[in-house]
Amino acid sequence: MSGVDLTTAVGALELSNPVLAASGTFGYGLDLVDLCPPESLGGVVTKGLSPRPRAGAPMPRIAETASGMLNAIGLENIGVEAFCREKLPELRARGAVVIVNVFGESPGDYLRVIERCEAEEGIHGYELNVSCPNVSSGGMEFGHDPILLQALTRSCREATARPLWVKLSPNAPDLAGTARAAVDGGADALALINTIRGMAIDPWARRPMLARTFGGLSGPAILPVALRMVFEVHRALPEVPLVGLGGIETGLDVVRFLLAGASAVQVGTATFRRPRAMLEILGELDDYCDRTGTERVRDLVGALEV
Amino acid sequence: MPRPVPGQFVMVESAGGGLPFWRRAFSVAGFGAGEESCWLDLMIREVGPGTAFWRGVPEGTGTRVLGPLGNGFPLEEPPRSVALVAGGIGLPPLLYAARELAGAGTRCDLFVGAATAEELIDPEGCARVAADTGGVLVPCTDDGTAGEAGLVTGAVERRLRDGAAWSELWACGPNPMLRAVAELGRAYGLPALLAMEERMACGLGVCLGCVVPTPDGGHLRVCTEGPVLRGDAVDWEAL
Repeated sequence: MSGVDLTTAVGALELSNPVLAASGTFGYGLDLVDLCPPESLGGVVTKGLSPRPRAGAPMPRIAETASGMLNAIGLENIGVEAFCREKLPELRARGAVVIVNVFGESPGDYLRVIERCEAEEGIHGYELNVSCPNVSSGGMEFGHDPILLQALTRSCREATARPLWVKLSPNAPDLAGTARAAVDGGADALALINTIRGMAIDPWARRPMLARTFGGLSGPAILPVALRMVFEVHRALPEVPLVGLGGIETGLDVVRFLLAGASAVQVGTATFRRPRAMLEILGELDDYCDRTGTERVRDLVGALEV
Repeated sequence: MPRPVPGQFVMVESAGGGLPFWRRAFSVAGFGAGEESCWLDLMIREVGPGTAFWRGVPEGTGTRVLGPLGNGFPLEEPPRSVALVAGGIGLPPLLYAARELAGAGTRCDLFVGAATAEELIDPEGCARVAADTGGVLVPCTDDGTAGEAGLVTGAVERRLRDGAAWSELWACGPNPMLRAVAELGRAYGLPALLAMEERMACGLGVCLGCVVPTPDGGHLRVCTEGPVLRGDAVDWEAL
């Protein structure tokens, strides 16, 4: 690599580079360790953790779409206890930056996950999942109602001094309203966007492609929507750190999100197609900075000329 | 690439990396390695855009291949004799297994099912591979245009009823066929090892798309815990 300074910061959290693994696409940070070591990334956002293990949704859970895919995994996860005991020690030993994605069906569930994690070293922050489109209760309800969201964020805020991110739903009727509610509740940063609700149909079987009928759309198909939402929230709340995600496949996509106002990004679906995608993206980002004489990646944040 | 175990698979990108969006999982049908390169034998049946892509691709086109992935058949401790049961495009891993077992002292009887005689894949070649292990090929077609008429699992069952003494059943094919093999295994007290196939986005265990239900209410990932699973590891009723 050249002399480009890839470091960035999301609020008070300093990162060695702006590329994080998105929740639900990188397991618990150790699943692809030979192909993409978690410590080489800006950070790892874990699969959404609930107080107890969840079996998730019935099959089929995924469907391929034009330039993307739908998923309805239903937040299958091993539970916070197993994560802290079985996964966290190695993540800690490797020096990975770990953001725990927190999921619950009630405010109490969110608090239980955070309280368990507070007992552990090596967790650098939390990302509240209030935007999963694939569960029958909880999740997205909080993300769609600014009053509920503000209360939930506040109670989580009171439970931790660590960085607290809220992952916003693109399906919410009032994006700026929910963004403001999360910040008013005490969020340090906002991550956006989660997947967009969609569906796929098998015309021969005349049935939905997913057992749950609806799923979350991800991949390059949603990048323009994500970029627009990051830009809108940045314009409405310029002082609030943003973590951008949605369809990032290349280093230039990262630059696009940074210019729109994100301080860091997450890469998700690209990892399914190319397990080393995040490392390739970092190389491309470095190359972009080199070629444009950009000495510090953080100089790109919000630098869009309009 | 390390030598794949029969039953393992590779994830193959469509050349250019654009559409189809996902890589496709293909079971390895054969493998060879030279000093600095290796070759993979894959059999692709056209069933949709992901597989149709390869029909029009010029020879010499490069692409990205990730693998070998998953758990294959247990070749390090081969059974004394095995019935290999293939349905349709489930043939490749079993053909590869039989080739690898030639010389290991394992007799492989190869049961191959297809809809019609035209859809049987290379029956002469299959017969040779089975014969090299001391076994036989039993072709079956739904319409009776070649081999025995009816389901391939019916042909296996008739022989079990007549006292065939295989030590294991290995199978690859559509889920209803695999379920029938699992039930035969249970009925006759034989381990049934099944190479399963499900929709996969990653092939590496992180997308959680390819899971199959287990009797205890949990899941196994076909890509990571499989694709070769024991018949009694799967809850067939819930699948």
